[in-house]
Amino acid sequence: MPPGALTDERDIREAYAAHASELYGFAVRSLGDSGLAEEAVQETFLRAWRAGERFDPQIGSLRTWLFAILRNVVIDLGRARAARPTVSDEGIEASVEPFDEALLSWQIEEAMRRIGDQHRRVLVETYYRGRPYAEVAEELGVPEGTVKSRVYYGLRALRVVLEEMGYED
Amino acid sequence: MKTDGCRHWKEELGAYALGHLSNEERASLEAHLEGCPACRAEANSLLAVSRLLPHADPERFGPAPQPPAELGKRIAATIGGERRAKRRRRRLHFGLGFGGAAAATAMAVLAIFVLSSGSEGGPERHVAFRSLPSGVKIAATLEPQAYGTEIHMYVKGISSGTLCRVYMRGPAGDAVSAGSFRYRWGADDSAVLSAALDLSRAKALVVHAGNRTFVAPLGNAEAALRKQSQQEEST
Repeated sequence: MPPGALTDERDIREAYAAHASELYGFAVRSLGDSGLAEEAVQETFLRAWRAGERFDPQIGSLRTWLFAILRNVVIDLGRARAARPTVSDEGIEASVEPFDEALLSWQIEEAMRRIGDQHRRVLVETYYRGRPYAEVAEELGVPEGTVKSRVYYGLRALRVVLEEMGYED
Repeated sequence: MKTDGCRHWKEELGAYALGHLSNEERASLEAHLEGCPACRAEANSLLAVSRLLPHADPERFGPAPQPPAELGKRIAATIGGERRAKRRRRRLHFGLGFGGAAAATAMAVLAIFVLSSGSEGGPERHVAFRSLPSGVKIAATLEPQAYGTEIHMYVKGISSGTLCRVYMRGPAGDAVSAGSFRYRWGADDSAVLSAALDLSRAKALVVHAGNRTFVAPLGNAEAALRKQSQQEEST
């Protein structure tokens, strides 16, 4: 058994405290339903508990391992859902968003939540809303150069947070 | 290029990465990048980040939903229940590993002690495997059940890791699987398995561990036993 394996209930409690919120947030985004998301998170930790002795921190982080388990759980739940004959007026229910795309989106959104408000704000206004820097500067009551430098430091902060989260491109 | 001379350029890099510079601004920044590896590296790194932005939905930058408080308790309770049930059934996972050294494909077959059991649970049979590597002990208790045979395996002195498959041989030499187990140091040293074969019809108990096979014949003559071992060897 590798050192650092999850072998007792306390290990699982600690893993839950550290990662449940992220896993749940992602599960809600991916499955679009808080009840299903709870089910997915519960199943993820049960599987982690059953397979705990196979977890090896030398190979990858606990977070990465848990997300890999969640991935399988979400796929299983998606299959189970698809297997149910839920034919609506439009025909067959739309399938869940492909997991990896959803995970990428969620990671960036989570990183955005973690950077400072000022940085997020200028990125949203200039990039997502496409507003001119001068207009944003006036609204914020700062020089235009400040908006530019916040965009720069905002992207840097985003990069750092993504790295901390274990994002690899 | 002096580093503080780059400060102005660096602060343009964010807008540059997002495609927000005017043509003139971009042209002069790119001229600078030509001659400044540090700024060029920073630009490339921010361009990589900027390429991720379209994947995010700005409507979702607000606080993420949090799991309900009772979810953690529910999971802890389920895991606790599972562990207790496991213990109750003594269904711990075991595994046998014999280390690389001892390991030629070998066959150890052996005698068996059928001891009469005093318990009222019926005719239990105690089985001991012999000719095991030194320090290793494998034994089993078999109990007839309505569904077949319940097998309590006892293992000692082995290293963890190797999957161990157990099955019983039926009257025609057919193998009836009893499942597998994996040894865990420090855990309870017994595992409970079951096979859908009547104990009275079983000819042998077989344990495959790593690349070794151990057979304990059940209630047969020595001769039958040898034959059995030859069959095992050829599988």
